[in-house]
Amino acid sequence: MSVEIILFFVFSVCTLAGASLVIFAKSPLTSAMSLVATFFFLAGIYVLLFAHAIAALQIMVYAGAVMVLFLLVIMLLPLKDAPPPLRLSPARWIGALSSATVLSILIYASLQWHNSLETNTTGQNALMYFGNLEDIGISIYTQWLFPFEALSLLLLAAILGAVVIAKKRI
Amino acid sequence: MSAFPSLAFSSMLLPAMPASTVSPPSFVQTLLPAAILAVTAMLLMLTEAFSVSKSRSYQAILAAGASAVAGFLAFQNTQLPAGFILNDRGVADGFSSWITLIACLAAGMSSLLALGFFRQRNAERGEFYALLLFAAAGMSLLAVSNELITLFVNLELMSVATYALAAFWRRGNRSVESAFKYFILGAFASAILIYGVALLYGATGTTQLNLLHTALPNALKTTPWLSWPGLILVLTGLSFKIAAVPLHMWTPDVYEGAPTPVTALMGAGIKAAAFVALVRVVLHVGDSSAVLLHILSFLAAITMVVGNLMAIAQRNVKRMLAYSSIAHAGYILIGVAALFTTSHWGNDVGVLSVTKVATPTIETLRPAALQGILFYLLSYAITVVGAFGVLAAIEKREDDGAADAWDLNRLSGLATRRPGWALAMALFMFSMGGIPSTIGFLGKLYLFKVGISAGLIGLSVLGVLASAAGMYYYLRVIVYMYMKPSPETEIGLRHWSTEFVLAVSAVAVILLGLLPGPLLDWLSQAALFIPN
Repeated sequence: MSVEIILFFVFSVCTLAGASLVIFAKSPLTSAMSLVATFFFLAGIYVLLFAHAIAALQIMVYAGAVMVLFLLVIMLLPLKDAPPPLRLSPARWIGALSSATVLSILIYASLQWHNSLETNTTGQNALMYFGNLEDIGISIYTQWLFPFEALSLLLLAAILGAVVIAKKRI
Repeated sequence: MSAFPSLAFSSMLLPAMPASTVSPPSFVQTLLPAAILAVTAMLLMLTEAFSVSKSRSYQAILAAGASAVAGFLAFQNTQLPAGFILNDRGVADGFSSWITLIACLAAGMSSLLALGFFRQRNAERGEFYALLLFAAAGMSLLAVSNELITLFVNLELMSVATYALAAFWRRGNRSVESAFKYFILGAFASAILIYGVALLYGATGTTQLNLLHTALPNALKTTPWLSWPGLILVLTGLSFKIAAVPLHMWTPDVYEGAPTPVTALMGAGIKAAAFVALVRVVLHVGDSSAVLLHILSFLAAITMVVGNLMAIAQRNVKRMLAYSSIAHAGYILIGVAALFTTSHWGNDVGVLSVTKVATPTIETLRPAALQGILFYLLSYAITVVGAFGVLAAIEKREDDGAADAWDLNRLSGLATRRPGWALAMALFMFSMGGIPSTIGFLGKLYLFKVGISAGLIGLSVLGVLASAAGMYYYLRVIVYMYMKPSPETEIGLRHWSTEFVLAVSAVAVILLGLLPGPLLDWLSQAALFIPN
């Protein structure tokens, strides 16, 4: 068993544990901090996938900036001591059922994927250069220029929308 | 052979372009309308920051003017040859240009409606028109997208701007609820869409629609566990955006709670842009399996039936129009389903069975279906802008989103108090119901005709029956306007911009309903990009 495999298991188990804690933790603050942990371990998995730049961005943007915002919002929320108990309405049952369906499809898919993985070893060399900043920069500014520029419009519209909604009353 | 009759005097507005000298489209030409919209939006943001003038009416005029210029450029683009642009991330063809035109029409008309509406409520802001133009730019870019990530980003540009527009005028719980619901459910739908895109990428190794077209049939065989969930999730996300049953629940609440000019934009622009996204995706993936044809025709059937049945029960005219917009999405879905019948003759599923008809081949059927969809989207956009324009006009300033603000009683005796508005509303209702000599009738005629020639006979008959049932609630509005005594309550004030929109839509409804020739000619001349 190589180091990568061991690291992958460490990272993935920790990611799953963190993600579950986000959902099941009683205090929103615990949820938020578990989310930080989840982001960190996810970044580890990105590194294993040769996506170094994405891993760095993940830590800087998500584990850093976005989480600070999360904590600020939680600080501003009027937190009650006990959240209302979870009741199982028909809508919730349908939701649970469809989530379970999607999950089982995905588990089945990944098992099948795993079986077919043995035959697919192409692109190992391409992977070495896949995730570095230069490669990402070149592809963003050449092949992906259109969605990239559209994204800047999207961000502008989102900022403007946030400002409009944040105004008390027009 | 074109599905539409043609008249000789049609192409006078268009630049003459002999077939031998055409060059592939340049991205500048294709993206110019969207660029004008986006730059004007930024300009409007700056006016809000730096303008010292008290009056803000020029902002709406500026927005409407930019939409008109962009719309005119898009109209000229409709006759350009089709081709890929921007590293194949975009596709420029008649379809994208026509949808851009519809988006500009919707944006221009709604900004004029908003001018009167917000002026009377003392709520004019440059941000509103900036968001409106951003939404229109998003629609236009969405129409150009030929790649799933690009499509997603542009869909989000359109949606995010519209979420903010829905929340712009917050009066009472209703409008807050509407905006919040729209945002949460819309974000959920986008997440489903991008999840599906990720799975499709995993299965085929591409997000490029034209490459997906060749890669997907194979992927459905070798990795069905990955490509099928991906395909279904993408279709689910897009069905939410076009408000197809069973993903229509948000529509009535959002349409009702949003400011009426914004509702007009949603009905006219967002619907058309969401349909172009759906059509682009299914055009490339639809041939790979007959199951998709069944899904689409099933969606069309239940959307038509449920939309019309739910609309009958509504006394609130704004909600009624929301349900009717669901029903109209169902009719258009017949046209979408008709795109694929030639690939899957003889797959019978009860009332939705595909009957083999002698005439059409894929080369004649697909352009006819696309033109039918475009004509319907255009006719619906013109009509729905007018209908919501009347609702915006009768809304009083004090209503503040009250529950009975759009009750049928408000329309009682409108014919004696505001004969012009009543006449316009009657025309819009006739057009939506599909009474001959209106544009709505022709839209339905061509769409059902395409459905029948595509072999979707059961579905088209169902469509005709559903629209006959729909006549009930459209005519009820006219009964209230013309046959009920008018109550003593006050009615909304006049404003020239609102009346201008009503007049333009009403004239367009009747004029294009009587003389559709030029429009049909332009539509049939548009070079449509169709994968073979």
